[in-house]
Amino acid sequence: MLKIKFLAAVFFVFLIITVASIYLYSMNKQPDTQLVEFTAPFVFGRFQIPENNPLTVESVKLGRHLFYDPILSKNNKVSCASCHKQSLAFTDGLALSVGVSGKALSFNSMSLVNLMWGPRHFFWDGRASSLENQALQPIEHIDEMGSNLANLIVELSEIKIYQTLFSQAYGELSAAGIAKALASFQRTLISSNSRYDKFLRGEVSLSEDEEFGRKLFMAHPDTKVSLRGGNCIDCHSQFLTSGFASVFDGFSNNGLDEDINLAEGLYGLTKLEAHRGLFKAPTLRNIAVTSPYMHDGRFETLEEVLAHYNGGIKRSKTLSPLIIEADNLSDTKAEHISLNLEPHEVAAIISFLHTLTDESFLTNEAFSDPFKKGELND
Amino acid sequence: MKKLILISLVGAMLISLGCTEVKENAAANTTDQPIDTEKNIEKSQAIVLLTGLPTLGTKDSIAIIELDPESDNFGNILYDYPLPKFDAPLHHLYYSPNGRLYATGLGSECSLAEIGLVRNAQAKPVITKVECLDTQGQSVGEDIMWHSVNGKLHMFVTFMGGTDSSQIDAGSVGVFDPQTNKVLKVIEARKSQVEEGQPYIMYPHGISAYEDRMVVTSTVHPNLTDGVGNTVTVIDLNTFEPIENIITEDAKPVGFPSSPVEVLFVRPSIIEGVEPAVLVNTMFGFETWKIPYDAKNKVFAKPEKVYDGSSAGTGVPLEFYGNDKELFISHAIPGLVKRYDLKSLPSLVPSGEDIKAELGAHHMIFYSSASGRKLIAVQNNLLNLGDAKDNDPTDVDFIAKLNDHSLTVHDLTTGERLGMINFKDKYQKGIDNVETLFGSGFTHHH
Repeated sequence: MLKIKFLAAVFFVFLIITVASIYLYSMNKQPDTQLVEFTAPFVFGRFQIPENNPLTVESVKLGRHLFYDPILSKNNKVSCASCHKQSLAFTDGLALSVGVSGKALSFNSMSLVNLMWGPRHFFWDGRASSLENQALQPIEHIDEMGSNLANLIVELSEIKIYQTLFSQAYGELSAAGIAKALASFQRTLISSNSRYDKFLRGEVSLSEDEEFGRKLFMAHPDTKVSLRGGNCIDCHSQFLTSGFASVFDGFSNNGLDEDINLAEGLYGLTKLEAHRGLFKAPTLRNIAVTSPYMHDGRFETLEEVLAHYNGGIKRSKTLSPLIIEADNLSDTKAEHISLNLEPHEVAAIISFLHTLTDESFLTNEAFSDPFKKGELND
Repeated sequence: MKKLILISLVGAMLISLGCTEVKENAAANTTDQPIDTEKNIEKSQAIVLLTGLPTLGTKDSIAIIELDPESDNFGNILYDYPLPKFDAPLHHLYYSPNGRLYATGLGSECSLAEIGLVRNAQAKPVITKVECLDTQGQSVGEDIMWHSVNGKLHMFVTFMGGTDSSQIDAGSVGVFDPQTNKVLKVIEARKSQVEEGQPYIMYPHGISAYEDRMVVTSTVHPNLTDGVGNTVTVIDLNTFEPIENIITEDAKPVGFPSSPVEVLFVRPSIIEGVEPAVLVNTMFGFETWKIPYDAKNKVFAKPEKVYDGSSAGTGVPLEFYGNDKELFISHAIPGLVKRYDLKSLPSLVPSGEDIKAELGAHHMIFYSSASGRKLIAVQNNLLNLGDAKDNDPTDVDFIAKLNDHSLTVHDLTTGERLGMINFKDKYQKGIDNVETLFGSGFTHHH
């Protein structure tokens, strides 16, 4: 009898262990996902996707839904897409974006494109160190979307489509999942079909004006060899992607203000005086459709931007030395900083900048609002 | 037996624990950790043309290899793209100013090709296609140069076989639209077709240019038997016509004409304020020549011999490569690279000890190791022709001896050899050309 009891006890323990193991296994089981496949131009350079957030079909689909869903905001009226409209290369056309509070935010909405290249610092002032880190900041910001993440998770968990999408992508619904999914969707926003891309591939030739502008864009002026230059490439060498992959390369003070009015910029992150007034040199891809310009949207047109570099530069302690010395003059005039470009040279640079517009990116269905497309039931 | 099982089990456990640890480390990489892209693991990777060796049953391919001697992957092929079978191997790789990848080829079926290089979703470089271009019958492609003529960029290619390689004085320079790859003009002036004493182009190989003057060398007939040249041809880029032949020949150490091979137009864009001159290596003359150029009057002066390999114990000088401080010249015999002070050009002022490579020292690349050590890798193969000892039908005279089929890697500062990959031993293939994955980044042509 004792033996039967003993065997029953052993069997019971074994049963408990088995059930617990199955339960734990199912809890920890990662969903079966499918990696996104694509090719990108080699000239864009190397990119990395975080090992703990592989780019999967499921995570991108979830991220796309979240990106366009105003449920992410406190009042259910503001989505990521409110400030990042596809037709405007994921900007909003405003000098300063406006969120749930109705107050103007501190910065101009940045274009979202080719974000896999240059992933060290996001936002104009570099305050986010990854796309995942960046993704949650606007959601929680009191003026942008004003959401409480815990409440948001409860809300999302009550919606069937999100139960399904989170389950498929990550197995569970969490704040980390929201960040990862938004980051994944944004990583797929690849633009590589502008006229300039086609030029690089040899599919089209640039017009004389565009080619003249390209050469000016690429040249740091050197009067010793009679080379005139627009000096653009010095700060915008990563102009086809989203910035630099190295620590603080790509942050620059481009002479918008004197010392007394100099905004914090990168200083806000590093607390180094040398970084005061330095902002991220943004991508120039689709620049013709992303006005107004600069971190505070102070310039309405590309002509105004060029006019700034051609005579509007204001001196300050951290002004880029590359800007100071680029004057196209044999005798640099210390008191007045300007590129001294001729009107036809300015026009040519602007013509070249227009070749960076990628219409297929601006209308790519894969990046569009899934709610409008009725893809909820996919 | 039990002991064996026990060891196996313990081993399996250790492996299992190892795997777990890796996964945990990966999981610890929280979402707000920045991705460390500053460690560019591709800086030490090279793209190479590998040639199948007939007696070893291997086939031609384009490969990406790891060349950092500090890496566990040193010498490993990271990616291999099998090439279609052409009548002769691809020969040289070149990146265009816009980053497009091209290859010349030693045959007629694919004497010039554009190679589609992209990244896949795992960020790995992959080749999508090798598109053989229409050269209007020009064969045996050698060197490519992109140069602006009156403000417009052109792609120039030397074809040692010209439009008819059966001619004993074959050769042409193809002028291509660099956007469309279409032939704009074939510059051809066969010696037998021009008036006596008029300039001609024959077996052109090396190419270089400054302003509106281009120089191409006259090397050797592609079949290596029908003829050998001894001149540099000057082409007026305003008319795309040859205007002068300059003989660079002195002693004939092996009894052949000098066979000028690679050429470098030393010019102010390379060294600020330099007096322009053309440097010429003569493959069978074993010499390096200097041809001073008066840019104002567009006149080339009498050539001067600035290096004599016969007396210095070197032979078959081949390539010119440079960085911002030095010029490097490879000598297939005895297999070394000589280095010169860049600022002293066009004079050849040694800047350091020779880099001792292997027989056939030819192309080279410059790069850094993971720890930041500056490196040079030398490809040691004159031509990927086989050796009669292997019953290889592609053996041609002494050239087989100049095919070490290897890459040697050296410290750039000291010349110390840090590693070697013998492609014949390791992959049963020869290596025809090497280029850094991101392009040479150098100022000089080869």
